[in-house]
Amino acid sequence: MNRISEHPILGNTEMGRKVAFFMDGKQMEGYEGEPIAVALKAGGVMIHRYTQKNHEPRGIFCAIGRCTDCVMIVDGVPNIRTCITPLVSGMRIQTQDGVTALEVTE
Amino acid sequence: MKRYDLIVVGAGPSGLSAAIEAARCGLTVAVFDENAKPGGQLFKQIHKFFGSKEHQAKIRGYKIGETLLSEADAVGVKVFLNATVSGMYMDKEILVRRGDAMEHCKADAIIIATGASENMVTFDGWTLPGVIGAGAAQTMMNLYSIQPGQRVLMLGSGNVGLVVSFQLMQAGCEVIALVDASPRIGGYGVHASKIARCGVPFYLSHTITKAEGPDCITGVEISQVDDHFTPIPGTQKHFDVDTICMAVGLSPMSQLLKMAGCSMIDDPRRGGQVPLVDENGETSIPGIFAAGDVSGIEEASSAMIEGRMSGLSAAAYLGFLSEKDKDSSLNELEVALNSLHQGMFAPGSKGKAFTKTDEGIAVSQSLLKKGYLDEADIARFNHFDKKSGVHPVIECTQNIPCNPCQDACPKDCIKIGKTITALPRIDADSTCTGCGMCVASCSGQAIFLVDEDYEPGYASITLPYEFLPRPQKGDLGTALSRSGQPLGVAEIIDVRSAKAFDHTTLVTMKVPVAQAMTARFYKREAQRAEL
Ligand SMILES: Cc1cc2nc3c(=O)[nH]c(=O)nc-3n(C[C@H](O)[C@H](O)[C@H](O)COP(=O)(O)OP(=O)(O)OC[C@H]3O[C@@H](n4cnc5c(N)ncnc54)[C@H](O)[C@@H]3O)c2cc1C
Ligand code: SF4
Ligand code: SF4
Ligand code: FES
Repeated sequence: MNRISEHPILGNTEMGRKVAFFMDGKQMEGYEGEPIAVALKAGGVMIHRYTQKNHEPRGIFCAIGRCTDCVMIVDGVPNIRTCITPLVSGMRIQTQDGVTALEVTE
Repeated sequence: MKRYDLIVVGAGPSGLSAAIEAARCGLTVAVFDENAKPGGQLFKQIHKFFGSKEHQAKIRGYKIGETLLSEADAVGVKVFLNATVSGMYMDKEILVRRGDAMEHCKADAIIIATGASENMVTFDGWTLPGVIGAGAAQTMMNLYSIQPGQRVLMLGSGNVGLVVSFQLMQAGCEVIALVDASPRIGGYGVHASKIARCGVPFYLSHTITKAEGPDCITGVEISQVDDHFTPIPGTQKHFDVDTICMAVGLSPMSQLLKMAGCSMIDDPRRGGQVPLVDENGETSIPGIFAAGDVSGIEEASSAMIEGRMSGLSAAAYLGFLSEKDKDSSLNELEVALNSLHQGMFAPGSKGKAFTKTDEGIAVSQSLLKKGYLDEADIARFNHFDKKSGVHPVIECTQNIPCNPCQDACPKDCIKIGKTITALPRIDADSTCTGCGMCVASCSGQAIFLVDEDYEPGYASITLPYEFLPRPQKGDLGTALSRSGQPLGVAEIIDVRSAKAFDHTTLVTMKVPVAQAMTARFYKREAQRAEL
């Protein structure tokens, strides 16, 4: 588990409400209001998208909305910066492949 | 179009300080920040800050941010968040993007306090998921309570790389190594020593030659570099890591100033392209000011002073403050700013290799190359008559702008004097009571209490501890040297925490007296062979 529940300086972490969301069709859990990228990281997702030209994987890099490495398809909308977009219950997140959704074989 | 007397772009320490001063003089002030949280860099900083008491030293960064914010609130400053300023024009009009809406605002004076952005370096595999910026690591662990990785390699030994490495360990991550192409550690020795004593190795004159992994980081290869920073074939070393963290410098975010037509200069010592400003932060366009990291990468302490100076100057520019009052306030601030600009890490000293401190003591080469003082160094810096009983040992050997230790001691045992960059000295005439305030207040965690006469054959050592789980009285563990090497069994004889210590726990361990000047850290597991 990579969540920090107790920190020597910051104390106990207060989390929001636990909510379910969908990552490439699979149900996952996260805390309402935290960046989507954080919920994905807690669930072990490292790859957010593949580049259009060379199909190279990208993940979180700046975590403050500047580099666009973390963009994904959120509720059908591509190019959403997941590091600064709050998680909402029931959200559908998809790995972005170029500008469309990555085809997932279940 | 909305109008204000003053618009400030950036709600970091410099922007908020500027806004507070100006609002106190009676200006209507609006601050815009693209972040969802105000405070700029401060909100990710959980360590005790350097500087002097007047500049909030020994207070943790995020607390300074909270204080500034409530002050700004109290004097009526309007802070707009999630508001990115994307344009600025010569007639002091700005373009703000809030969500999907664009808005024009105008003011009679503008202060740009946009701070800096992180630099990157490229290497084979640098775009793989798992390679992150140091700021990203801080955002994840300190704002959103998630570990950036389990096993992390840090690239960059400046203060950011050193501080973030320590914060990673506080978040429960393992820092495998710290790598820098430079032959010397760039940040403060005291920051380096905090991680060296936990056993983190430093690889100076090394760089990353390859980030490994099919689709996210599984390892890293580093190589030694020659004098021209070119990797030397055959010197590769491999580490299993899942995260590579880059802390390779900051660049001023001065685009808005350039856009407005302010004269700019390229100054590597300030971090890149910066506006040409006078001593109060006014750019070549009257009424447009720059303050903080945007006009040269420095520290929060100087950013706050520069912010206040520009706020006062803007107030005077608009006639809210008489020239006389302006001059007297500015003079005071200038003195404070100058005092921070002394010593080995002053902006003007960048790139210089110091061989001696201001006091004329030879600097520790071990500290610069390996991150810790060797024993010969300690003798050079701790020259005092030892009385019997508990006494402080101060392992702060560089001229850095910092002095909380001096204010901390109720017995006046520690002296720095007026020059904030001077080395702390121990006053031989004062008697230490062992209260521990100096240990807890030292931003560099460089003060230890040592009692060579604790028990026949044994010494006690009190050290600052900021990790979990905290040791308990009676625990047996391992005493570690300054380089993190195990020295033998240590018994915890006291654990103190207090509100005044601000989350720093004071751990006292008992070690053989021969280790009184070598044992500087404690690891929880004991070495079985010696029990
Ligand atoms: C790891 C680390 C450790 C540090 N430790 C210390 C220490 O111990 N002591 C010390 O004194 N200093 C320390 N510092 C340095 C200190 O944090 C910075 O020097 C200081 O924050 C600079 O203040 P600033 O106000 O100029 O910029 P920032 O704090 O960077 O604030 C700038 C603000 O402007 C906003 N902004 C930028 N562009 C726009 C735009 N176009 N529109 C709207 N808003 C915008 C940003 O979102 C940000 O909030 C440390 C820094 C780091 C990274
Ligand atoms: S332990 Fe207390 S009395 Fe002794 S030097 Fe430190 S602050 Fe002063
Ligand atoms: S010993 Fe004093 S000057 Fe040195 S880091 Fe600690 S508080 Fe700062
Ligand atoms: S990680 Fe850079 S924009 Fe999200």
